Amino acid sequence: MSVVDSPATRRPRDPGGPQQNRVPGHAAPRRRKRNSGLVPWLLALPALLFIAGLLGYPLIRMLVLSFQNMRLRELISGRTPPWVGFDQYTRVLSDGVFWGVVGRTVAFTVVSVLISVVCGLGIALLMRRVSHGVRLFMIIAMMFVWALPQLVAAQIFRWMTDSDFGVVNYLIDLLPGVNYQNHSWFVNPWQGWSVITTLVVWAGIPFLAITLNAGLTQVPKELLEAATVDGATPWQSLRNIILPILKPLLMIVTTLSVIWNFGLFTQAWVLRDGHPEPQFQTLATYSYTQAFGQARYSLGSAIAVITVLLMFGVMVFYIRQMFRIGEVD
Amino acid sequence: MKRKIAAVAAIAATLLGAAACGSNSDDDAPTTSASGKVDGAGKTLKVWLMVDAQSAWKPVVDDASKRFTDATGAQVNVEYQQWANHLTKLDATLAGSDVPDVVELGNTEFPKYVFSGAFGAVNPGDYENSSSWLQGLKGACDFEGKTYCVPYYAGARVLIYRTDLFKAAGIAEAPKTYDEFLSDADKLQAASKSNAKFGAVYMPGQYWYAAMSWVKSTGGDIAKQEGDKWVGQLSQPSSIEGLQRWVDMAKKYSKADPTKNENDQANTFAQGTAAMFYGNAWEQGAAEEVKKDPNNPDSPMVPTKVKGKLAAAPMPEVPSFLGGSNLGITEKSQQKELAAQWIKAFTDSKSMAGLVKANALPNATSLLDQAATDNKTIAPAALAAKNSWFPPNAEKWADVEKSAVLQTMLTDILTGKKSVADGAKWADDQINSTLNES
Repeated sequence: MSVVDSPATRRPRDPGGPQQNRVPGHAAPRRRKRNSGLVPWLLALPALLFIAGLLGYPLIRMLVLSFQNMRLRELISGRTPPWVGFDQYTRVLSDGVFWGVVGRTVAFTVVSVLISVVCGLGIALLMRRVSHGVRLFMIIAMMFVWALPQLVAAQIFRWMTDSDFGVVNYLIDLLPGVNYQNHSWFVNPWQGWSVITTLVVWAGIPFLAITLNAGLTQVPKELLEAATVDGATPWQSLRNIILPILKPLLMIVTTLSVIWNFGLFTQAWVLRDGHPEPQFQTLATYSYTQAFGQARYSLGSAIAVITVLLMFGVMVFYIRQMFRIGEVD
Repeated sequence: MKRKIAAVAAIAATLLGAAACGSNSDDDAPTTSASGKVDGAGKTLKVWLMVDAQSAWKPVVDDASKRFTDATGAQVNVEYQQWANHLTKLDATLAGSDVPDVVELGNTEFPKYVFSGAFGAVNPGDYENSSSWLQGLKGACDFEGKTYCVPYYAGARVLIYRTDLFKAAGIAEAPKTYDEFLSDADKLQAASKSNAKFGAVYMPGQYWYAAMSWVKSTGGDIAKQEGDKWVGQLSQPSSIEGLQRWVDMAKKYSKADPTKNENDQANTFAQGTAAMFYGNAWEQGAAEEVKKDPNNPDSPMVPTKVKGKLAAAPMPEVPSFLGGSNLGITEKSQQKELAAQWIKAFTDSKSMAGLVKANALPNATSLLDQAATDNKTIAPAALAAKNSWFPPNAEKWADVEKSAVLQTMLTDILTGKKSVADGAKWADDQINSTLNES
């Protein structure tokens, strides 16, 4: 499948130390067996505790919360909220508004990831062709974009698209015959989402371009030269040589982009000034407004759990793909 | 051995839990008295006020705290909160045990917390002017025959206008009727025709306090209680008429963003692209002068383009939304008596006179006339406060505000995405399901 083999995959299969020591049956003295089993666990214990405390506990709390009905009264008094079984889930899943939000989030994710990856790959390919100085300049420029906190970038975009004083309206208005004075970018959801998508893609490209550029350095020059000698067009070289080599990396960065963009919050929140209208709600903002805006903590938890499950559905596909690639290697 | 310790710990935890539950039971919640003397030597009272108190009337806070300290010996630690995130912060804090003793909330935010048992009952008779507390503030404190907060200050919305532009358009004085208001707007619009960014009225699309005031002006209403159910009233003919009136006005005279709310209106108005706006009395000052460094409360004030060119008048024929704040004593507070003493000092006539000086309205009708003569700037607002309205006093009203129902509806009907009737119907459905949610 792949044109090159990395040395790492050639390593002979190592069955692992602890398994070798294990004697079948109960012939070995009990004490020794316990020791050899315990030491790795003991060594891993701090890390495991850390993960359990940091990830496991809140996750379990959220799961538990989603089966209760926690409102402001319970939060303040500290009383155990009443158990309601799957009520929160039925309420969420039978709500048309929720499915609207899911559809919107998925559509945004697909569109924004597609644009980001294509643009990122395009810029990465461009970076292979330009001179060293220009490449350095591109990397530094993108590093600046990358280093900008999401909140700051979103705030800048909000000012740029402000209807009263925004520079975007000012510039468009300079075109002859166009009146963009006081144009509001968030009346029409298509326009509003274009602004949000532009922001997300703009902020997402540096990571993609720099990573994919690094990946492109792994493509052997001889292969491309040989292909050219054989009469392959640049398009054929891209499809049959570069993309297959890049595939594992593309897979990973696409997966990461899906995870990030699916959880869109800051950009939509800031651009809508902390009060996103229904047509600008995504799963993350919807869950947040339900839980913290309206004190429906359990409903918000249920939405969050469903979001994780939905994400997981997508992730399983990718993870399987990744394993498959590993096996072929 | 280990098991024994665990058992002891479990029993102790259960007992502690039971004790905590016992003290939190709100069946026989005692009313906190503010009369008599309380010895607070060595104690510190924690007070949460909104940022307005810091920016506009900090001397009043300091004076009340000083008098409180002199009387009780306790210290006061005032923390100022931002409107944008104070409820989320409050929720998180109230869930713990180290809570502020006194909390300020907007009057429309109070019912939800009172219904949820966040605040302890107070005895109104202990506070000065309590017999004539503004109903729009006090209504939010009442629950099942008890009072759970103390009115603090109010703001009523007025028409703030550019005197220079009025003069240039040949208008002698502020409009007295709604028709006059519209014809003045026509004249102002005609006089500034050359400026494409100019609109006679600055009316942001999600300014629901304004739009609902227009609804009230034609006899409409947001929601009313029928039995134990709330019923949205926006699709009633009189409400539709008011919404239509507001939409017609905003469409014709306003260049404001239909998706913005009123939070920034004073700053936007200060850029000089509008002749009138509908705002709180203190927003006149906010439009005329701004802090050189908005992040520094002590920075000097700098004049804006409209400095010295503004005046205020009651908005003709439109009842004013009565906004404002109340002060509550948290149910979890360990020093309720002290908290009551501080509130008493902070809401007495002396403190109220200080607030009036800072362009806020006092908490009682008996003080309004005096306020109007003492401070000419707030005279129109004091007048407007007498003809005022406030949102439904429903437990879940804050959720309606938070879910942006009215805001979304207003943007939709203003931009023509929905007809006024369709938008009102949609908003009614949302209001009904939110207010009546069990």
